[in-house]
Amino acid sequence: MKQMKLFLGPQHPGMHGNASVHLYVDGDIIKKSFLLPGMLHRGFEKGMERHTWINNISLIPRVCVVEPDINEMAFAMGTEKLLGIVAPERAHWIRMIILELARLSIHLMAYGGLGGPTGNYTLMYHAHADRNSILDIFEQITGHRVYHQYIVPGGVRKDLPVGIEKDIHAFIDSLESRYEEYRDLGIENPSIVARIKDTIMLPADVVWELGVTGIGMRSSVGKPYDVRKVMPYARYDQVEFEVPTSDYSDARSRIDCKLKEIIQSISIIRQCLAKMPEGPVRVPLGRGQSMRWTVPKGYVYSPVESSRGEFGYYMVSNGGTNPWRVGVRGASYPQGLLGVEKYLPGTRLDDAALWIDTMGVCSPEIDR
Amino acid sequence: MMNSMNNVEFLKGLMNQNFKIVETDVIDQYQVSFVLKQADVLQALVTLRNAGWIQMSYLSAVDWPDENKIEVVYILMNWERPVHIQIRTKIDRNDPVMPTIIHIYPGAKYYERECHEFFGVKFPGNPDYQKQLILEMWDDMPPLRKDFDPKAYSDRKFTKREYNEDYLVLSDQNDKKAKREARKERAESLKGGQKI
Repeated sequence: MKQMKLFLGPQHPGMHGNASVHLYVDGDIIKKSFLLPGMLHRGFEKGMERHTWINNISLIPRVCVVEPDINEMAFAMGTEKLLGIVAPERAHWIRMIILELARLSIHLMAYGGLGGPTGNYTLMYHAHADRNSILDIFEQITGHRVYHQYIVPGGVRKDLPVGIEKDIHAFIDSLESRYEEYRDLGIENPSIVARIKDTIMLPADVVWELGVTGIGMRSSVGKPYDVRKVMPYARYDQVEFEVPTSDYSDARSRIDCKLKEIIQSISIIRQCLAKMPEGPVRVPLGRGQSMRWTVPKGYVYSPVESSRGEFGYYMVSNGGTNPWRVGVRGASYPQGLLGVEKYLPGTRLDDAALWIDTMGVCSPEIDR
Repeated sequence: MMNSMNNVEFLKGLMNQNFKIVETDVIDQYQVSFVLKQADVLQALVTLRNAGWIQMSYLSAVDWPDENKIEVVYILMNWERPVHIQIRTKIDRNDPVMPTIIHIYPGAKYYERECHEFFGVKFPGNPDYQKQLILEMWDDMPPLRKDFDPKAYSDRKFTKREYNEDYLVLSDQNDKKAKREARKERAESLKGGQKI
């Protein structure tokens, strides 16, 4: 049969964000494929060099649209490391609550996103409705729904509002009670299982070849390789949680890991709310006017665990008021570019969207 | 997991035994950086890969126009001995060439392509390094070099737009206008430091 050229995305319901997969298909078998990034390139790395350290706080959350808090955390930790200052104790716990709420929100969105390629839109509506409740909590804490600009170098912007614990508890209780329902709707649903089981495999040797991290790696290698566990930041060493793993990485087991992480995040939030001490939440980075704060010379790489894997900022300072260079290591860079090129050929056309969804390819962090 | 400070000591021993390290910097218990000569980098990466640092997390560059150098950075990770390693080396800025590492870390393929696009570093041996990745039909110098001026580029590339004054000045009362000007001036004067 003749080969045909096809574009998957950016308007396809299974495509996440403004990237496109260029496919050459024979019948419905993919023969050649590659990602076309660049539709969302906004010059962030250059922009960060042109702003002061404190100005950058409003720029960095925009690097990843759906999960902005990891950007703030990586930038804040890197700046603190360069400066040699330590955030106050309470700020660490508040940061963990924010990060885990953000993880819940992105997992719900990704799980709902499974509804796109598999055609189960009920799942998507339910997941997005629950995500909306998280955004309401964020709005109460930070004043913003999506880009919070809340985790800043030196701590967090302000303390939690009075009585927010009640709302958070109410939400995570309701989410936990609906957990089984979510499983039945998605990965236990026979019509979807037939679609996601044994498709889009990721063998363990491929993981190291690509450099995939996060759920993709853990579901394949079967070991708890999570930045929160092996090199704990904030106060992750003082809470108890498990890292769900599997040693057979098809689309279903990756989503299964994602759902199990929801339960772990809920447990982490509960522990944080119980253990959180009272006290100040922010220390200034320097003396005097914030536009003139300088950061000592140095090179630092600050990694955090995002929902898609190891996400890091490579930060270089030359001692000036602006960063000299900030490089963003997008968590989905390997599976988005090299993964699409090397491991999609041989699979079926309708599985391409499943790869994009279950590996969590996020185009804004590929483009930066 | 083993004691994390032991990992750093192990790593320092391994590197000092095999290579002439220009500079070592222990950033914290989970991160070390080594500055190497350009000729040593490939061998060092092979050594570290065999020692268990099988994941390449990041590859990029930093521009230092004052020294006329470009610094290439490799960040490696080993999940069994959790230490991030930065390998850095400075190369000539006028003709920056680094041998490719895709036979050691296949995942570097697209990072090298991006590095070529944004810094102009050539990676002979990588079959695709000169293809365009993110910037479409780029016809200027690599944009993350420090002497690239985005303002000049956009002035040259795009037609100038006239903005209606009504949108810029919300109120035309003179005292408010003067106040706004003064505030703007003060913000400019406080910026300090180098302006790129």
